[in-house]
Amino acid sequence: MARSLGQLRHRPPRYSAAALAWRGLRGHTWPRVWRDPELKTSYDAVVVGGGVHGLATAYYLARNHDITDVAVLDKAYLGSGGSGRNTAIIRANYLTPAGVAFYGRSLQLYNSMAVDLNINVMFSERGHLTLAHTDGALRTMRWRAEVNKLGGVDSSVIGPGEIKKIVPSLDTSDRPRYPILGALYHPPGGIVRHDAVVWGYARAADHLGVEMHQRTEVLDVLCSGGEGPGGKGAGGRVTGVRTNRGDISTPVVINCTAGWASLVSAMAGVRLPIVTHPLQAAVTEPVKMFLPAVVVSGSLHVYVSQTSRGELVFGASVDPVATYSVRGSSEFTEELAGHVLQLMPGISQMRLLRQWAGLCDMTPDYSPVMGFTPVEGFLVDVGWGTYGFKAGPVSGEQMAEVVATGRTPELIEPFALSRFNTGNLVGEKGAAAVGH
Amino acid sequence: MLLVPCPNCGPRNSADLRYGGESHARPDPATASPHEWRAYLYLRHNPAGWLRETWYCRSGCRRWFALERNTATNEFRDPPLPGDKRGGAA
Amino acid sequence: MAMSRLGQRPTEVIKRSVTLHFRWNGRSFSGFEGDTVASALAASGQQVFSRSLKYHRPRGILTADYWDPNLMVQVGDDPNVRAGHRLLEEGMDVRAQNVWPSLRFDLKAANSLVGRFLSAGFYYKTFMRPRWLWPSYERVLSAFGPGGRVDIDSPDRYHDKRYTHPDVVVAGAGPAGIEAALAASKAGARVLLVEHEHSVGGHLRYSTRAAEQVALGKLRGTLEASDVEVLTDSTVTGRYEDNWLGIVQRNHPIAVERLIKARAKMLVVAPGLIERPYVFEGNDRPGVITSAAARRLINLWGVKPGERAVVFSANDEGDAAADLRDAGVDVAAVIDGRKGHRINSTRGSRRAVEGVVADGVRIDADLLVVAAGWTAPTSLLNMAGDRPAYDRYAARFFPSNPPDSVLATGGLSGDGTLDELRTHGAATGRLAAARALSVAHRIQARTARARAVGGPEPDWAADDRLPLRRDFHPELFRSDTHGMIDFSEDVGSKDLLAAAREGYDSVELAKRYTTATMGSSQGKLETVNTVAVLAEARGENIGEVGTTVWRPPYAPVSLGALAGRVFEPVRVSPIQPWHEANGVRTILAGQWVRPDHYGDPAAEVRNARSNVGIIDVTPLGKLDLRGPDIPKLLNLLYTNKWSNLAVGKVRYGMMCGEDGVVLDDGVTGRLGEDHYMMTTTSSGAGVVWEWVENWLQTERPDWRVHVTPVTSAYASINVAGPKSRRLVGRVVRDVDLSPEGFAYMEVRSATVAGVAGCFMWRIGFTGDLSYELHVPAGHGMHVWEALIEAGADLGVGPFGMEGQRIMRLEKGHFIVGQDTDGLTMAPSTGLSRLIRLDKENFVGRPELGWSGSRRLPMIVAIQPDHPQTVPDEGCQIVRGDTNEILGRITSSRMSPTLRRSICLGQVEPELAIGGSRVTVLLASGDRIGATVMGHHAHFDPAGERLRG
Repeated sequence: MARSLGQLRHRPPRYSAAALAWRGLRGHTWPRVWRDPELKTSYDAVVVGGGVHGLATAYYLARNHDITDVAVLDKAYLGSGGSGRNTAIIRANYLTPAGVAFYGRSLQLYNSMAVDLNINVMFSERGHLTLAHTDGALRTMRWRAEVNKLGGVDSSVIGPGEIKKIVPSLDTSDRPRYPILGALYHPPGGIVRHDAVVWGYARAADHLGVEMHQRTEVLDVLCSGGEGPGGKGAGGRVTGVRTNRGDISTPVVINCTAGWASLVSAMAGVRLPIVTHPLQAAVTEPVKMFLPAVVVSGSLHVYVSQTSRGELVFGASVDPVATYSVRGSSEFTEELAGHVLQLMPGISQMRLLRQWAGLCDMTPDYSPVMGFTPVEGFLVDVGWGTYGFKAGPVSGEQMAEVVATGRTPELIEPFALSRFNTGNLVGEKGAAAVGH
Repeated sequence: MLLVPCPNCGPRNSADLRYGGESHARPDPATASPHEWRAYLYLRHNPAGWLRETWYCRSGCRRWFALERNTATNEFRDPPLPGDKRGGAA
Repeated sequence: MAMSRLGQRPTEVIKRSVTLHFRWNGRSFSGFEGDTVASALAASGQQVFSRSLKYHRPRGILTADYWDPNLMVQVGDDPNVRAGHRLLEEGMDVRAQNVWPSLRFDLKAANSLVGRFLSAGFYYKTFMRPRWLWPSYERVLSAFGPGGRVDIDSPDRYHDKRYTHPDVVVAGAGPAGIEAALAASKAGARVLLVEHEHSVGGHLRYSTRAAEQVALGKLRGTLEASDVEVLTDSTVTGRYEDNWLGIVQRNHPIAVERLIKARAKMLVVAPGLIERPYVFEGNDRPGVITSAAARRLINLWGVKPGERAVVFSANDEGDAAADLRDAGVDVAAVIDGRKGHRINSTRGSRRAVEGVVADGVRIDADLLVVAAGWTAPTSLLNMAGDRPAYDRYAARFFPSNPPDSVLATGGLSGDGTLDELRTHGAATGRLAAARALSVAHRIQARTARARAVGGPEPDWAADDRLPLRRDFHPELFRSDTHGMIDFSEDVGSKDLLAAAREGYDSVELAKRYTTATMGSSQGKLETVNTVAVLAEARGENIGEVGTTVWRPPYAPVSLGALAGRVFEPVRVSPIQPWHEANGVRTILAGQWVRPDHYGDPAAEVRNARSNVGIIDVTPLGKLDLRGPDIPKLLNLLYTNKWSNLAVGKVRYGMMCGEDGVVLDDGVTGRLGEDHYMMTTTSSGAGVVWEWVENWLQTERPDWRVHVTPVTSAYASINVAGPKSRRLVGRVVRDVDLSPEGFAYMEVRSATVAGVAGCFMWRIGFTGDLSYELHVPAGHGMHVWEALIEAGADLGVGPFGMEGQRIMRLEKGHFIVGQDTDGLTMAPSTGLSRLIRLDKENFVGRPELGWSGSRRLPMIVAIQPDHPQTVPDEGCQIVRGDTNEILGRITSSRMSPTLRRSICLGQVEPELAIGGSRVTVLLASGDRIGATVMGHHAHFDPAGERLRG
């Protein structure tokens, strides 16, 4: 089913060291990475949201299922939402078997992405440490490690001595208020260049015939036959979308937005189990490499990694108050710094250079909402909380399969919207509620 | 740091309060269908605009109360002062 | 070219009588007090301070201030110090960053030979294959990273924070900012004036015009005599919701850096303007400096910037020719940008300018001073929600529509003579003061207790300031040649044009693709030129392209300053000193530090099982309930029935959320007619309190129940073991302790060891005969010691959390949050007799009512076949040799009483039958057999010891 290069709609220049040298010598520049076509009035499918999820969905629709009459719409620019604001951590060490299988597949796709998409996404498989500061947290680490092992994901519980060997800058003594008792060590975890992932999918999808339309905002989802006003809601079906650039008719609309998932779904008369909270992040000035692994502390609400440029990139928990404002707060940087210095007291002179925020759609069970809704043709890939980026590739692959086959693949069955009608929530909430 | 207008204590830093989220009517537990009940438990309007929500002034008067806030701008509508006759939010 | 020290200047800030010695890349140098690191080095003839990020080109002074991207150095263990701002100190060890092996011979400079292959984003286009080589590539790339070094063993430094509530904060102490502060203060406002540089005065400080020097002297005098609080070497780093401001103070006498948090009623933004570089070939060669840099070097530090200069100027302000001549610099030519003249390029060695090509003509010079226009640092306005607008006529951005609580003045908001700027500043200060008064009044009026204070709210002062005019300025961004745009990221105009051609043509995409504006000055020097080149590529104007959003902080803040002193409260029981004196090992439980054990938990258990043990359970959550409607409340919140609890009785209850998931558990006793004591889990105390208040306040406001949290008002001691009755009998005289007089699950008020006002109940978390004593906290230590003393002959000994956990596991009691998780519904606990669906309307009832049709996992007791094998908590229960998960071990210990391993676990409902065989996958990878027990209790299932 997968398309070969010979079937490409238009042949792009390949990226390679040789091509780089050739163009460098000849002084040639590179052509556009993706086209800028006219917006048509009809598509086989419309993807709302030009982030990793939307672009990957479009890419896999074209590559795996030969569905190429697809438009990806974004109200700003590609990767302007969560895809460009996250801290780019990739891991698969989840708590539930469903989560492990799903993110495990994503990790595989990230591993082969540079070759598959012919772009260096700089996936740095540097290892991922989740620190435990209480016996309860340690117990949950063991639980995760065991489930990971059974799901074929490499992770194990290690003690302070081994932690210190991997990350010498961590204070593993018993001096801190929350001493490090152990960690879940996940060697395949790492970081990636998030923008390159966005551009890679956009470029590859474009080459297969998918259209990307930036600055194209969806104002309404057009429906008929539903129980609500305007033919929206349960029992209805999608007929198109209204945008700031005109109406588009389409039988399939896939909501791949984060931060606006509730608003876009409401346009089709679909209510979601989502509350939108900002998640803040920050970056320091660069220093020479000293932090060789990704470090996460749940108790201290902080995660940190060092980019190849040398900056520390920090994230934390979502802000406690729901809001669509992404202006950020002072207390975030203060708490962050306080917690980071508890872990690594030696870096108090590093300076915070920039902070920013993105929007996270939180669900009650810390798991996404994927697949069909009560409105025919209106599909969702939403509710990605703080873990959307790392799930981008596999979500695109699975959503494409939903669209192409009309069936829900086993891998994402647990994440159906209907679980909030039956009460069968996903157990990732277990991890969040355990260990106090 | 958001300044939250507690009806009793006046403007307070949001860190002094607990955010209770979207306020929504609780169906009668005796008669609600599973569908209605789970919609109450899990589904939210989550608008980008004015929202009625609950707060708990945990470091101040220790009262739960409802306020209206614009979730796009974080602007609050004035809460009714205790004893005010004007009822709901201005 | 080399810079050198001039004779004394009237405006200089250096103290020539104090010489300071320091090291630069290991060599000894000296400078004067008041010098910055950079000015001292420049005066000593140093011209190269760093190497550029990608091409490792030598870089010299560009702006000679905080934002100079070429002056990032390492000072001791402090990386990325801004040598253009940091004051020289005696003994400083200063080193160049991003050089290898040294600043002079940098081998990485070979990069510049392959520069044409290092086009923007080149790294995305290569190193994909072979995949296994990428880690090596990555190491090489990161070796080229910019920045200094951290020493992970750096000592702790003192940091501090301050909170303040000024009426008006003025960011920027140039002439307009000073006037704003003075006017606001004169109008009665409490004013904080914050200046980024080391002294107030803005550009007047390095002006040689007599009138401006006089004006500066007067402003300083007035400021000193005023009530305005002035902070220098401090920056307003962020404006957050409702004028919550972050201010970093870098010159605090004790703290390395201090974070000041100000809730300002009004913010006045007066940062002035930042001179932007001009883009042309060779614009990053050492010897090309901004006009402000030239004037600062000459007039502040007495540094002669060169011998023979070309001056390029597009504005009066930037015409440094007079200053240069005054300093003895030969001005070879003045090129006027307003008349269409252009700089085409510089010529010279890699390390110094030797000539300047202007309008196609080469002029010999070792210095090029450029004044090409301004960047408006609108960051604080951006953070307040404003989107600044571009004005082609003035060739810069201006504020457009900031919120009412934020005002701009000075060069940021327009042009004018010094007097006009001062007048605007003063008007802004008066407006800010008037509005601050309204804000203050509103805060008072909205505070119920203070409502009576004050009259009607003053009218919101209208903005009737006469706007500053906007002077024409030519749009000078890029000449007819290509040059550097982002000096710290080594991004040139060619890179941006190439990125735009590739499709990265919006400002955000171009920024992300090329990294322009992402370096040390965060766009303060680069943004406008970046946008201008993109506009050129798109054939649009700058306004249409727009800018990126400026993010906090305005200037970098150290992690130490942000963290401040760490306040992590620790709670301990009043008995903690005894524990510490008796060899306790503690364990963290939320905020509480509790005794885990005293050396041998198994021995503690054996002693409690055979004699009597006492444990400090003070953190147990306690809510004192008073009022006639308590039974209704308990019926609502617990799953079991409470209407018939008699005075003197205690009952166990389980609480659920609205989704039927177990929230908390504990016992509640009835102390009097309308008086109950509710206990919660230690970690759930705060949550349950808010939960109770929420139901009482929002759903049942008519119920008369008053709730008081009393967790730490009582010290709580559990006395457990067969001899506990005898021990308690020795300290409690006023209660009949006979099994008939004080039965299991009863509560009594008591006087304990002479302490009145105590209560105690007979419960049994440990599974043994036990009494839990709750005594006023101040007497906790006394009662504890009394028990130890009175029970010496009974073998009394303390036990800790570990002992209690073993004993409760022997007895099969589950722990909420350990044996349950975020999805565990009440029926999974096996306590179905406590879920009374026949009771109307309790919290969780709807879901519990429907739960019968669901396959819920069950909590069961499990015993491994091999009695010495204790599976780790978290180990999975699997189906035979497969990887199918059927449950997990939630608690496990070696039982000292039964001398075998015992567990609790959650399993699929089919397995929750006594005698079921299960397979446990150990952490080692081994699989072991185990048996599900018929009841939770491994020990004394009939409860004879408990009730004895």
